This record gives sequence, structure tokens and C-alpha cells, in this order.
Amino acid sequence: MARRSPVKVIGSRLVQALPVILLATFMVFALLKLVPGDIAVTLAGDNATDARITEIRQLYGLDRPFLVQYGAWLGHVVQGDLSQSLLTGEKVADSIGRAFPNTLLIVVIALVLALVTGIPMGVIAAIKPNGWIDKLISMIASLGVAVPGFWLAMILVAEFSLKLNWLPATGAKSFSVSPIDALRHALLPGIAIAAYGMAEVARQLRGALLEVLSSQYVRTLHAKGLSMSRILWQHGLKNVGVNLLTIISLLVNRMLAATVVIEAVFAIPGLGSLIVRGAIQRDFPIVQGVVFTMVVVVIAVNLITDLLCAAVDPRIEQ
Amino acid sequence: MTMTTRREAMALISGALASTTLGGRAFAQGAPKKGGTLRISAPANPSSLDPATGGAGSDHAFLFTMYDTLTEWEFDTLKPKPGLAESWKFTDPTTLVLNIRSGVSFHDGTPLDAEAVKFNLDRNRGDAKSNIKADLLSVASVEVTGPQQVTLKLKTPDTALPGILSDRAGMMVSPTALKAAEGGVVTRKPVGAGAYAFVSWADGEKIVVKRNAKYWKPDRPYPDGIEFSIIPELTTGARSVSAGQNDLIYQLPPRQKAIIERASSVKVVHGPTLYVFQIFLNWSRPPFDNIKVRQALNFAIDRESFVKGALAGLAEPAYMNLPKSHWAYDAEVAKLYPYDPDKARKLLAEAGFKEGTPIEIGGYTDQDSVQREEILIEQLRKAGINVKFANGTVAEASAAFFGAEKKGAGLLSAWTGRPDPSLTYSLMFTKDAYYNGGRAPVPPELEAAIKESRASEDIEVRRKAFSTVQRLVMENAFVVPLAFQFELVAMNKKVQGYRPNLLGKPKYDDVWLEG
Repeated sequence: MARRSPVKVIGSRLVQALPVILLATFMVFALLKLVPGDIAVTLAGDNATDARITEIRQLYGLDRPFLVQYGAWLGHVVQGDLSQSLLTGEKVADSIGRAFPNTLLIVVIALVLALVTGIPMGVIAAIKPNGWIDKLISMIASLGVAVPGFWLAMILVAEFSLKLNWLPATGAKSFSVSPIDALRHALLPGIAIAAYGMAEVARQLRGALLEVLSSQYVRTLHAKGLSMSRILWQHGLKNVGVNLLTIISLLVNRMLAATVVIEAVFAIPGLGSLIVRGAIQRDFPIVQGVVFTMVVVVIAVNLITDLLCAAVDPRIEQ
Repeated sequence: MTMTTRREAMALISGALASTTLGGRAFAQGAPKKGGTLRISAPANPSSLDPATGGAGSDHAFLFTMYDTLTEWEFDTLKPKPGLAESWKFTDPTTLVLNIRSGVSFHDGTPLDAEAVKFNLDRNRGDAKSNIKADLLSVASVEVTGPQQVTLKLKTPDTALPGILSDRAGMMVSPTALKAAEGGVVTRKPVGAGAYAFVSWADGEKIVVKRNAKYWKPDRPYPDGIEFSIIPELTTGARSVSAGQNDLIYQLPPRQKAIIERASSVKVVHGPTLYVFQIFLNWSRPPFDNIKVRQALNFAIDRESFVKGALAGLAEPAYMNLPKSHWAYDAEVAKLYPYDPDKARKLLAEAGFKEGTPIEIGGYTDQDSVQREEILIEQLRKAGINVKFANGTVAEASAAFFGAEKKGAGLLSAWTGRPDPSLTYSLMFTKDAYYNGGRAPVPPELEAAIKESRASEDIEVRRKAFSTVQRLVMENAFVVPLAFQFELVAMNKKVQGYRPNLLGKPKYDDVWLEG
């Protein structure tokens, strides 16, 4: 089959993404409306009366049928407007614009850390499988998977912020204002999330590499007298490239989800904190806006991964 | 009412004396000085910075910095005292005259005169977006009777008004800003006449205010500004103070006290508040339609142990909706429900209530709430009452109990105080009140007594009316009060002059920073 041009691929993927976005935002909207609790009560204030709550529902259009409300939200989105918080009136796009860089920085740091630690671990473990180094690495990797991120986060804060006073315990700084300060704030949360990623990269890479190294062509390479390092770097890693890219894309998506908890521990005003606040207060434009953003990011990450995989391994049909 | 009566003076002195006997108070050391930025860890994003449209009790911690109120209160007793209104007087039971301080202006330069006050009060009681219409229900009209004088004509006598005007309803917003604002609300661009002027608000992140250089109170405020970092996770907020990133955190749960006190740079102050943990009851249907079952519940709770177990001793056992230090407290009512599990069993038997029948009560999912539930389950079990808690988030569980769903026989929650106690009672114990979960009728003499409490200006008459109100509420056992939570504030030792108040909503009037 002839290969299609990347432009066409991207185009068709974007068309496929539309139903995903619609479905995800619709389901979250439905969930928010299904659970008890109503923003009208919050809006009505401490001295609420039944009459006032009814009045608020009318004032904010909360008494309209469910589908009409979703339709109204969607109508705004189509026009490029994520609408505004029902409670505070802040534009959802502004909230997300401020929160997203904070979350992104943590995820990037976590990903880089996970890769620079996880890849060597996986490679070393795969060179001498079942040796003591391999067992040690397996143990560390198991720990990394098993230890909850929020627990590790609190231990890190206790040690590096409260005791040693090296890094800030809470908050975030804007990268564009002060990159150093921003990195200092994002480092501990990044490490907390990276632990899991490191373990995942090490384990998956070891598995994939073992399979490659035990294949027949590697035996041939050995027979030809190639050194272990040449086999590894020229042939082995090239062949696990696709696995690695897949792991990375899954990790990015997982790490985005993990920020919800980690941001709470570090009081980082990111996407995770934003969606939690929105959900607790039933401020649905915020929740919808964040879900929309997350879905777009996940779709984009998957698309980029697929394109890269196809570039690395021409056998992959787009 | 003139503000220099002997009784007032006595109250002031006794208040001052009382404050010296309270543990853990912070006293200013040395002379206060200006400068520095006060960095505060705040537990919640405000619902709005417009006092008329906001909803949450946690908003006040921000609003009080930007808006001054017509009246203020004594920190220790909540008795009203002059604010932007330098004096007030009921010329007859349905006429309240407010004399507005002259020479005060809003942050945008608009003069704070009688016209501005009238504009605010009319907006608060009439605007569709106003959430505080109910607070000013008794007001028939607001008239400008002098350049600095407004006269409130009332539909019914309402002596709760001076107290009410110390809260949202009395927060003055610049009429110029309101007229210019989109939709007539200043949610995101507040302009008041308070000690600090608004600078910025990033939702869920940060609120910044700066010193109002033309503030009317002499020498105030001391700091150049305040930066609120919004940190909903209180453990994290406390850490930000012990790590020195913030200077002060309020509304700490009691279990945090021992932890944060380990930091040598931090001091902790606390004081009683009106914030009361209580079980709301639905007395419109079984089992709580039976007065004896409700009374049994009140007898079955060992409040002293509850305070020790659930609140680390940092609370006052609650036998009604007012704490000991409040001016309308009645010691006799407090004696109605001593801990007596045998009496509880007897009442249940008389009510024909089968021992061990499960009762479902709503509650919240956070760690502290669940701990309170565990202690209550154990205490009630000893009296043969089998309580099952169904937990949800605050929004979810509250709406399920107070809203149309009418879920559960009760709700373990809390009541934040109101500057005037009449609101507390009318919002919970009248037939159509939202916080009367079952919307069930109450005895007519209770409704009458609540009205009565607002009819006279004489504090002794009011005190007597509140005694009747409290007695009727507790004799009918419409609620199970548990404990008044102390305000717990942790701050860096360089923060001076912070005083807790009975309302439990922090004000930073006299705060200054050392060094």
C-alpha cells in the first residue's frame, strides 16, 4: 500500500479526534449534572432561601434542560470561547492559560528525569539479565511503581524543604519571569511524579531489549564478532525505539493525570488544581474547559507519537 | 443608640480583661511600625469580591481588607461598634438613623457620603444579583436626610440591623465603580473604602492588595500590602508557613497545632468562635419527628470527650448555638442536656424506638469529618443508637439534605456564626428556612420569640428574648450542637498584633511586621 503524506494523516486524525472531544466533554458534563450538589446553592450564599436558589437557577440559566445547557456551552466553544467561571466570572481560557504552563513544566521535568534515569537502568539490566545488578534494578523499579506519588512528595518536602531548606515547599513561579525560580519550584513535584516513570521506562525497556538481544540476528552479529556495545547502540536501541516512544506517550498521559494529586500536595495552581476546584464547586465551565484541554493534549501526544513511530519504523502503517 | 453609655464602657473593659485570660494570645511587642508585605495562606478561592453577589463565608477574609463596613464589632463579644457610621440611633422602633463619618473616600476617590450609602443599601436589598436581600428584608426605604446622614424606614422593628451592617450588607462599594461595571457587579474589580485597595486576583492562585494611603483610621494599615496565596490543602498551607514562604495561615484544623508548633519560627494563637459543629435534624419525618428521639440524641453525646477526642481540646462544648463569651449566652439553657446515656435509652424506650434501628445521617468525606463521625458512632452506640453516616463532598451532602432530595435523617455539619444571633435562629428554625432541612413547622412561640428578639434595642430585653429562643430550640431539640471550634491561626513570629475574633473570620486591623 502506498504511503500517505503526513499532512493527510494529520488531517484525517484531526477529523477522528472530533467525536472523541465531543464524547469526552459530553460524558463529563453528564456526570457533573448527575451527581448531587448544585452550584446554585453555592451561588445563593450563606443566607440562602429556597426562593433565592430558584431565582439563581433562572438568572444563570441552570434551570434549562440538560442538553440545552450542553449545547450552549458547545456553541461558545465552537466560536473559540471557553466561557467563564459561574462563580468568579474569570474567563476559563485565562484560568487555563495561567495553569497549563505550571502543569506542563512539572510533566516535562518528570519526563526528562524518568528518561535519563530509566533508560540507563533498563539497558544495564538487559545486558546481564538475572545478574545482581539486574535484580537490584528490578527492586528499585518495583519500588518506583509501588510507592504512591503523594507520599514520596511529602517525604521530599520534609527532607529538602523543611529540613535542608534547599527548595521551596509550595507554589509555582512563572517560567517566563524567572526560569531558575520556576525550575526550583517544579523540581520536587517533578521528582515525585518521575519515580513512577523511571520505573516504568526501566522495566519496559529491559523487556523490549531482552527480546531484541535474544533474537537470531543478534546471535549472527555476535558470531560476526561485533562488540556488545556496538550491537547495543547500533542495532538494539534502534529496534526498541518504537517501544520507547510508545512508553513515553503513555507516560505523558499518565503524568498529566498524576498532577491532580501532586499539585494539591505542593499547592501548585495548575490544571489539576483547577479541575478539582471546578468539580468541588460544580463550576462546570471550568471542568469542561480543563477536560477539553486535556483531551486535546492527549490526542496531540498520541498523534505525534504515531508520526514519530512511523518515521522510526517504516513498517508501521499509518 | 449612642456609643458611650456606661454599659458599653463596662463591656469594653470586661472584654479587654477577658482577653488577657485567654490562652495563646498574641500581643504586640514594641511599637507597631509600617512596611513589609503580609503573606497569607488562604484556604479557599473567594466566590466573588463583590460583597453583594458573593456566597461563601470564607470570602470575608478577603473582603474585610478591601471594604469597610457601616458598623464593626468588638473582637471578643461581637457587640456592634461604629465603623463608617460614626453613630446610629433608633429614633423610633421603625426608624434607624445612621450618621456617616465625613472625609472618607473610596479607593477611586469617590466620596463616601449619604448618597453612596443609600446607593449601596438599595442595591443590596433590591438588585436581582444581590445575595443579601434577605438580610435587609425589614428595610422599607432608605432616605438621604443630610449630606452624611441616611435614615432607614423599617417595615417591622429590627434591632438586629446594627449587627447586620457589620457584615456583607454594610460593606460599602464605590457607586462610581458599580455604575461603570459590566452587569453592575464588581466581582473581579472591587473598589471599596477599606484599609487596602485591590491590585489583582488570579483565580485559585493569588490575591494581592496594597495599602490605602488615604485610609481614615489613623496610622492604619501597617503593612504595605497583603498577598494571599490560595492553598486549599491545609497541610500544604501549614507547611508553607513553617518553610517561611508565607507569614500566616488561618482556619487550621486542631490536629495541625502540634505539627506546626514544631517549627521554631512559628507561633500559634487561638480563641473561641461562633463556628459550631452540629447535627442538623429533619424533624418532619421518622425517627426525628419524635421529640423524645431528638432529645435522646442530645443526652447521648458526651461533648467534653468529643472536644478532647475530635478537636484536640481546642474547642468549647456546645449546648446551644451561642458560646459562653457571647453577650446573649444563657447558662441555664446550657444545663438542659448533660451527658446521660441512661436517660437517652429511657427516652428512646418511651418513644417506642427499637434499640439498634439504623439511622442514616449525612456527613462529609474529609479526614477531620470522618474522625468526628467515628467518635459520635461510638458515643451513640452506648445509648443504643445505631447511626450510619453516608458521606459526600460538602456541596453534594449539603444539597442532598437541605435541598429537594431530603436525603437522610440528619446532617453532621457546622454553622458559621452571624454577627447578630437573630439571623442564626431565623435561618435554621423557622418553617421555610433553607437550613430547616424538613421545612417542618416550629412552635409558634418560637417564631414569635425570634421576632421579639429584633423588636427592642435594649440589650437586656434582647438577651431575654434570645434566652426564650434558645430554650425553645433546645427543649424541642431541633438541633444537636456539639462544639464551638476555636479559631486557630499560625504565623511567623515576626507577625505582630494579630487578634482572633468571636466571628472566626480573620481581620488584620492591627497587624504589623517586625524586622
